[in-house]
Amino acid sequence: MTFGYILSICTFASIYAILILGLNILTGYTKQVSLGHAAFFAIGAYAQALLVTKAGLTFWSALPLSIVLSMAIGIVMGLPSLRVSDDFLVLTTIGLNFIVMGITEYFDFFGGAMGIIGINVPSFMGHPLGTTGYFVVTLIFLMLAIYISYFFSKTWGRLAMEATGEDEQAAQALGINTALYKIYAFALSSAFTGLAGALWAHSIGSLFPRNFSFEMSVLFLSMLVFGGLGTIKGAIFGAFFLYLLPECFRFIESYRMLVYGALLTVIVILQPNGMLGRGGLLDGCFFKLKKRGTETQGISKMG
Amino acid sequence: MLQLLVDAFVLGCSYALMAVGLNMVYGLLRIIHVAHAALYTLGAYVGLYCLYHLSQSLWLSLTLGAVFPALVGALMYRIIYSPVLSAPRYVALIAGAGVFIASQEFYRLIAGPYPYPFNAQFKFLSISSSHLNVTETQMLIITFMMCAFLCLYLIINNTNLGLMWRACTQDMELAASSGININLIIAINFIIGSALAGSAGVLMALYRNSVFPTMGAMVSYKAFVVVVLGGFGSIPGAAIAGILLALAESLLGMVPFFNLPRDAIAFLVMVLVLMFKPKGLFGR
Amino acid sequence: MKRYLGLAAALMLVCGIAFSAQAQQTVKIGFITPLTGFAAADGYSSLESAKLAVDYVNEHGGIKGKKLELVSYDDACQPDQASALTKKLIENDKVVVMISGSYSSPSRAAAVICQQAKVPFTSTYAVHPSIVEAGEYCHRIGMAAPIQGRTGGYFAARELAAKRIALLIMNNDFGVSLAEAFKETAIKLGAQIVYEKKYPLGETEFRSYLNAIKAANPDLIYAPGYYNEAANIVSQAREVGLKCWLMGDEGYDSPKFIELAKSAANGVFITTDLNRDSDRPMTQYFLKNYKKRTNIDADMVGASAFDAVMLVSHILNKVGTDANKIIQYWDTIKNFEDCATGPILMFQNRSAIRPMDIQIVLNNKFRYFYRYYEPEVIYLGKGSEGK
Repeated sequence: MTFGYILSICTFASIYAILILGLNILTGYTKQVSLGHAAFFAIGAYAQALLVTKAGLTFWSALPLSIVLSMAIGIVMGLPSLRVSDDFLVLTTIGLNFIVMGITEYFDFFGGAMGIIGINVPSFMGHPLGTTGYFVVTLIFLMLAIYISYFFSKTWGRLAMEATGEDEQAAQALGINTALYKIYAFALSSAFTGLAGALWAHSIGSLFPRNFSFEMSVLFLSMLVFGGLGTIKGAIFGAFFLYLLPECFRFIESYRMLVYGALLTVIVILQPNGMLGRGGLLDGCFFKLKKRGTETQGISKMG
Repeated sequence: MLQLLVDAFVLGCSYALMAVGLNMVYGLLRIIHVAHAALYTLGAYVGLYCLYHLSQSLWLSLTLGAVFPALVGALMYRIIYSPVLSAPRYVALIAGAGVFIASQEFYRLIAGPYPYPFNAQFKFLSISSSHLNVTETQMLIITFMMCAFLCLYLIINNTNLGLMWRACTQDMELAASSGININLIIAINFIIGSALAGSAGVLMALYRNSVFPTMGAMVSYKAFVVVVLGGFGSIPGAAIAGILLALAESLLGMVPFFNLPRDAIAFLVMVLVLMFKPKGLFGR
Repeated sequence: MKRYLGLAAALMLVCGIAFSAQAQQTVKIGFITPLTGFAAADGYSSLESAKLAVDYVNEHGGIKGKKLELVSYDDACQPDQASALTKKLIENDKVVVMISGSYSSPSRAAAVICQQAKVPFTSTYAVHPSIVEAGEYCHRIGMAAPIQGRTGGYFAARELAAKRIALLIMNNDFGVSLAEAFKETAIKLGAQIVYEKKYPLGETEFRSYLNAIKAANPDLIYAPGYYNEAANIVSQAREVGLKCWLMGDEGYDSPKFIELAKSAANGVFITTDLNRDSDRPMTQYFLKNYKKRTNIDADMVGASAFDAVMLVSHILNKVGTDANKIIQYWDTIKNFEDCATGPILMFQNRSAIRPMDIQIVLNNKFRYFYRYYEPEVIYLGKGSEGK
């Protein structure tokens, strides 16, 4: 099993891809820019962790519960979007990020500063999943997420969300219940993000409040903007590329984060619509891979 | 009690100095200038360099610590923000974030990861009595902040430059068509805002006696809270909100055995303000 | 053109991985540490110290004649990177022992993987109890928090006879676990906790807390945390006029604490395991050569990393590279002298037990003040630290 390292980072990249797909629904379609998505991520992770460590559920039985919990809390956290918009919403999401971090840090129910330890390795049919097994599971969830995203992108719901994002008043004039669609976007986004969080919790095995910092939220939004806001391919590409990039730069270890920051800035300025967005450098590169096969091809291209 | 007020006031000054720069950029360009914190840290490092290589005097450090970031700030606008002004605003946000991440690493690579003490010499007023102790550093910070804000207020309200700036914040296109050189106004805006951030960096380096690569992070988050509280685009709002926030944090700190997270509470207040009084205290 | 971009990306990834494949002519130990990010200072200290130890070992015969090689990676203090890197070190670099020079969250992630892969592991300065609880392959070189906190409690309540104690706690696993142990001991020995407050990592303004503490009139303030915050606490405490004892922990044990706090650092006590006044040859070797190598005075974080490499080398020299033999021998080690921190007396529940030192800052230097040998202070209590 000498591919443990590659499988490991691909597992994490896939988890992030699921998350970014969720962020895409909220920020890509509905244009509710979230700079606090680490909070939603944390909620999914902590929900799963608590269910597994305190309530004694297994990975599989806790998973749907954490997704539902994430959706519920996501809806509540999305309520401010009905009152505030644009930059105010961005700041609100930043605030939510710090608030969630504060809650997990100070309340012992969530483990407090000592964190939650001992999140078990999930089993399938009685066998504990190794690195490869867990990667396969994550990949299956990613494919499921892509399918749902793709399916959703063909529905009227997506159009309504985009209309809401484009021009809320015009959408309302067309009879779209924008409030409902904003909440819907938060719910769907939180479901994806909650799933990502739950997978994360099991892959690391322990959670600490500072794992879900504001810097992480910035990373998430960067991944989406870099890849192409509003596109499924872009979401996946952004997640994989920006996660794997620092790993590729390990040979210049001391400089890799500098290169990462500089690269991010330069590329986002040159490609404001994202690499896979309209007019982007790679737009059309993966165009034949619109369906489920997208991420498999993406991974095989990256070795 | 008076001591508490004074200590909180000094803390508030640092918040205010950071927030006003953010506010000015937002008022003009509607961009959340995430890279502002990089200029704060830059000011501190420039000041540090002065101390080690040029002169032990604080005044030179403060001056260069304001001037250098001012220029870098204007450059930042030219290179990073102006190409993306027409793009959706999250692009500027991400670009700024990239700059911030890169800057922290840059400082670490040049100066090392360890914190440096900031041993500056200077003479200034101080108060020491049985009721109240205000150190020289504290007096300096208070005086500097008040002078800076007074100057800023006078410039904005009593000069032609200020008039042009106010016109730009209201409507850029109209201002441009009235013959105002908006590029100049924007450049001056960044210069002043960044100079204030840089000098805040020097002053806080002096106050805390420490300069390290990630020192800008938490200050900038607090600055967001201050900007919201004070109202977007309002200069006096930034000052007053900064002091109010510091006061609230200090009072909360006094309550014994109260262990709720101070930062989370500040952000909760921010969220509530955003939801129920989005214009903040003095916003337009 | 566009298609080649994908190919280029693939090549980059493959190259990055290929670089790590090497032939087995040296004995390799793995090391993860934060070299970027907020914890970069500690990462640098621990890496340089580890390298110093590796050089020492290689100058004195290596591992049964073979060269000892340290394979290290930057984990940026992130558990996902730590987790992936541990797998890389174990599978691709084929290290025989893993050492974590990082904080608790990444260390715990690494420990779990080492346990699963049956590779011996030790943390250096991370204190979270769960690190050794991951299993029989996981050890700790640094001081366990319950022991360190308890030592602080004994010193404060018994040696300094403080009756009223204020706690100003850094709110992460480090500060919280130390404070818990300290509190339990201090109360048992008759002291009263008159103030308790947690502050977030990165806090710089403590005056409001300190003014409240002043009103509570304590004999001693115990403030577990890292040196950045501690320097602020200590200098602001003296500024607001607090004249009581100030006490900290190994997180203060860095020359930077004294540099940043200036004269306020004088008189501060810390619990630690690095005795700078010790005449033990390895301690002095470490202190001198670390300074020579980096131009900075050594700190506790570095000392822990140094000791980890020294101990691991000793074990490898003694029993070879078989993992089971290593962990069996590890549990039987007694009175290990070849380390910078006080001799390691033994391992209890896989955590190192050693005499605990109290150092005091005098004339801007850390000086020896007191040393504990009593079993009830320095040994783990019954039932703690898991299996």
